[in-house]
Amino acid sequence: MKTILLSFLLILTLGGAQAQTRISGFIKTPKGKAVANASISIKNSYDGASSDSTGHFDFTTFEKGKQVLVFSALNFDKDSVQLVVEGKLMNLNLLMKDAINELETVTISAGTYTTGDAKKGAVLGSIDIATLAGSRADVIAAMQTLPGAQAAGSESGLFVRGGTAAETKTYFDGMLVKSPFNATVPDQASRGRLSPFLFKGTSFSSGGYSAQYGQALSSALVLESTDLPDKTTTGITLLSVGGGVDQNIRYKNSALILGGYYYNLAPAYSVFKQQQNNFIKAPEQGGGSIQYKAKTSNSGMFKFYAAYGVAQLSLNSPNINVPSSPSYFSNANNNIYVNSTYKAYLNASWKLEAGISYNRDQDQGLMVQNNYKRTDKLLEGRATLTHYYGRLSNVKFGAETFNTGRAESLNNLGRSYTDQLSAAFAESDIFLSSKVVTRIGLRTEYSSYLNRYNVAPRLSLGYKTGKDSQLSFAYGRFYQNPEDSYLILKALDYEQADHYILKYELNLADRLFRIEGYYKDYANLTKVKGNQLDNSGSGYARGFELFLKDKKTIPNGDFWISYSFLDSKRDFANYPMLATPAFAAKHTASLVAKQFIPAISSQIGATYVFASGRTYVNPNNPVYLGDKTKSTNNLSLSLSYLTHVFKQFSVLYVNASNVAGFKNIYGYQYSTDGQNRRAIQPSSRRDIIIGLIMTIGDDNFVR
Amino acid sequence: MKNLTKTLTLALIAFSLNSFAQTATEKFQMGMKKGLEMLGSAKGTDGFNSTANYFERVAQAEAKQWTPFYYAAYSNLIAGLTTTDKTIKDQYLDKALAEVDQADALSPDNSEIYALKGYVQYIKLSVDPQSRLAMMSASSASLAKAKALNPENPRPYFISGQNTFYTPEAFGGGKAKAKTLLETAAAKFAIFKPASAIEPNWGADQAKDLLAQIK
Repeated sequence: MKTILLSFLLILTLGGAQAQTRISGFIKTPKGKAVANASISIKNSYDGASSDSTGHFDFTTFEKGKQVLVFSALNFDKDSVQLVVEGKLMNLNLLMKDAINELETVTISAGTYTTGDAKKGAVLGSIDIATLAGSRADVIAAMQTLPGAQAAGSESGLFVRGGTAAETKTYFDGMLVKSPFNATVPDQASRGRLSPFLFKGTSFSSGGYSAQYGQALSSALVLESTDLPDKTTTGITLLSVGGGVDQNIRYKNSALILGGYYYNLAPAYSVFKQQQNNFIKAPEQGGGSIQYKAKTSNSGMFKFYAAYGVAQLSLNSPNINVPSSPSYFSNANNNIYVNSTYKAYLNASWKLEAGISYNRDQDQGLMVQNNYKRTDKLLEGRATLTHYYGRLSNVKFGAETFNTGRAESLNNLGRSYTDQLSAAFAESDIFLSSKVVTRIGLRTEYSSYLNRYNVAPRLSLGYKTGKDSQLSFAYGRFYQNPEDSYLILKALDYEQADHYILKYELNLADRLFRIEGYYKDYANLTKVKGNQLDNSGSGYARGFELFLKDKKTIPNGDFWISYSFLDSKRDFANYPMLATPAFAAKHTASLVAKQFIPAISSQIGATYVFASGRTYVNPNNPVYLGDKTKSTNNLSLSLSYLTHVFKQFSVLYVNASNVAGFKNIYGYQYSTDGQNRRAIQPSSRRDIIIGLIMTIGDDNFVR
Repeated sequence: MKNLTKTLTLALIAFSLNSFAQTATEKFQMGMKKGLEMLGSAKGTDGFNSTANYFERVAQAEAKQWTPFYYAAYSNLIAGLTTTDKTIKDQYLDKALAEVDQADALSPDNSEIYALKGYVQYIKLSVDPQSRLAMMSASSASLAKAKALNPENPRPYFISGQNTFYTPEAFGGGKAKAKTLLETAAAKFAIFKPASAIEPNWGADQAKDLLAQIK
C-alpha cells in the first residue's frame, strides 16, 4: 500500500514535469515562400521557437488544453491560432500575411515635395534647408530650388507654375500665415520671416493639394513645427549683419523657448555696393519670440508661439522719369504673430486638432512726400477631426473661420475692408489595397465681404507600379479671394484655378527621381480696366518638371537637380491682352550639391540656378510683354566649418552669393515717354555673409 | 521502514508543493539564465533574432519584469546592427526602441534602460546620419540621464565612449575624446557588481577592445 502510494506520488511529481507536447511545422506566405526568423509561441508561456531559413520550427511545451499560438515576423502581420494541446505531436502549417510596409505603400504625392527628418518620401531634411548655399537659412529661398518654383527675382515670394506670389499661401501647423515676408523694398525680394529652425517638416505643394487648404490658387507651403527640444541649451548666432540668442529650457514634459535677434545691414551695404537703391537708412530689424510646448498625454501636444518684430529703412530709388529727383521711400514695419495649437488622439481611432492664430502686420512711412500706413490683420480659428479605419484609410472633417482685412491710408485719406471667411471641408484617403489609394475631398467657403459661396472638389489617385515606383494623378479646383489691394477698392468674386497633374516617381533608398506634367486653367482673375475692376481675367499654365536627388554617387555628399519647363499666359491685372508674365520664365534649372570633407571638418555647398529670360513691358513694342531679358545665372557657395569655441560646439560659416559675378537683369523700367529705361537688377552684384553659430550645453552639432 | 516511507512521502509531497510554490520566481530565474546563455552564444543576425524572440516570449509571460524587455531590446539592437538587409535594419531598431520604452514603463528611472536607449538611438542615427542628425542629441540626452540616475553604472560611459569613437571629430566625436570616456567606463567596470545574476552586466570586454584600438 505504502509502496503504491509512493510510486503514485513519484509518478505524479515526475509526470507533472514530463507531459510535454511537441509542436512543429512550417511557416510560409500564402504563395508558399518560407518565412525565416519568425517567432512562434504559446501565449503566456516561455514556450516557442524561431523559424529557420526553410520556415521550419519545432518546440515542446508543458502547457495543456486550449492554448493560443502566436506568430510574428518582421515585414509580416502578427497572427494567432487556437490550439488544443493534448500531449500528442502536432504538425502545423502556418500562413503569414505581408504587413503593409510603410515605405512600399502607395501615397498621395502628386504635386508635393515633402521635407523633414523622419518623413516618408522626404525630399530635403531641415538641415538641407538651413545649410543650402545661397539660401541664407531662408525657407522660401530653399523652396526656390525645387521644381515648379521660379528662381528668385526682384519680387518677394514664391511664384509657382505661372502663378503670382499671392497665389502661394504659407501654413504654420495648419494655420494660415497672412504676412510671411519681411517688409518689401521696391524691386527687391525680401526674406521669409519664419526661421527654418522652427520647423521639423515642410511640405511644398505646387498643385493639387488637400481640401484642408484653401485660399491658394497655385501652391501651399505647409510648415510643421518642432516638438520638445531634447535638452536645455543656449544658442548664439553671430553674423556679419547682426546676431541672435535663443534659450531652450527643457522641463519633464514641456519646454520654454525664448529667442531674440537684431540685424543691421548698414555695414554690409557699405562693402557691397547696392545697385538698385540708394539707402539712407539700411534695413535694421529686431525682435523676439516665446514658445511653450507641452506634452499633455501620450498623444497630446500643446504648442504656443508668439513673435514680435520691428524693422525700418529708408532709401532713394531711381526715378526714370526725372533722374535728377529720385523717389524717396521709407518704411517702419511691425509684425505680431501668435499661433497656438493642440492635438491629441481622443481614442485609438479619432484624432482632434485645433488651433487659433493671429497675425498683424503694419507698415508706415513716406512715399515721395506722401504719408502712407497699412495694416493687415488675420484672426483664425480651426478644428479638424480625423477618423482612422481599416489598415490605412482615414476620413477627415474640419472647419475654419478667418477674420481678415486691411486698413490703409494715404496722407489723411483712409479706407478699409473686413471679411469673415468661413470654410468647411471633408476628405477621405481610401486605400483599396496597399498599392492603390484615392483621396476624395470637398471644400466649401463663404465670404461675408464677397457675399458668395464656393464649392471646390479635390481628387487624387496613387497607383504603385512596382516596389519602388508610383504613378499619381491629381485634380482640384481652387478658389481664392482677390488680393487685398483690390478688395479694399471693391468686393469682387472668387478667383479660380483648376489643376490637372500626372506624376511618375521612382524612389530608391539613396536616389529619387520624379517627372511631373501639369495643366492649370485660370478663370475669374481680377482685371483692372481704367478705374474699373472685374473678374473677367483668365489664363493657363502648362509644363513639366524633373527632379533627381542622389545621396549615393558621391561619398559623404549629395546633390539634386531640378528642371522646370513652363508655358504660361494670362490676361489679368492691368494686362491689355493674354501675355506671358515676367514671373514665368520658360526654363528654370537648379543644381544643389553638398559635400562633407572629414579631413577639414567642413561641409561645402554649392547652388547653381539658371533661368531663361523674363518678359518685360516695352512701350515701344506693340506686343505687350513682348520683350525678354537675357537668361540669368547665379552660383552660390557656402562653407560650414565645425569646430569648438570656448569648448562649445560651434559652426563657422561663410556664404557667398553670385561668386562668378554674373550680371543679372530681371527686367527694365521705362520712362513714361518710352525714351529712357533702367535695368532692374539684384540689390547687389555679390554678397558675402559670415556667421558663427554656438550651442552651449550640447556637444553636438544640433540646434 | 514505515517511518522512512512516511518521511519520504512527506518529503515528496513537500517537494512537489515546494516546486509549485517556487515555480513563478524559479521558473523566471531559470528562464532568464537560459536566455542569457543563448545571448552569450548567439551568432549572426539569425542568432540574435532567435534570442530576441525568446526574451519576447518571456516578457509577454512575465508582466512585471523589465529585464526580459531589456534583453529583447538588446538582442534586436544587435540583430539590427549585424543585418545587411537595409529594409529590415530600421524595423529591428524600432522594435528595440519600443521594447526599451516597455522596460522603462515597468521600471521607471532605471539607469540601465536609459543607457540602452542611448545606444539604440545612436545606431538609428548611424543608419542615415545625414537626415537623422537630430537623433544625436536625443541619444546624448538619454545617456546623460543614465549617468545621472546611477553614476556607478559603467555602461552609459562605455556607450558614450563607443558612440564618440564612431562619431567623426567634426561632429564632436573622435578617438581622443572616446579614450577618456572608455577609461572612465573601464574603471567603473572594475568595481561594478550587478544587483542580481540576471541584471545587465555586459560591456567590460567591448570597452577593453575599443581601448586597445585607440592605443
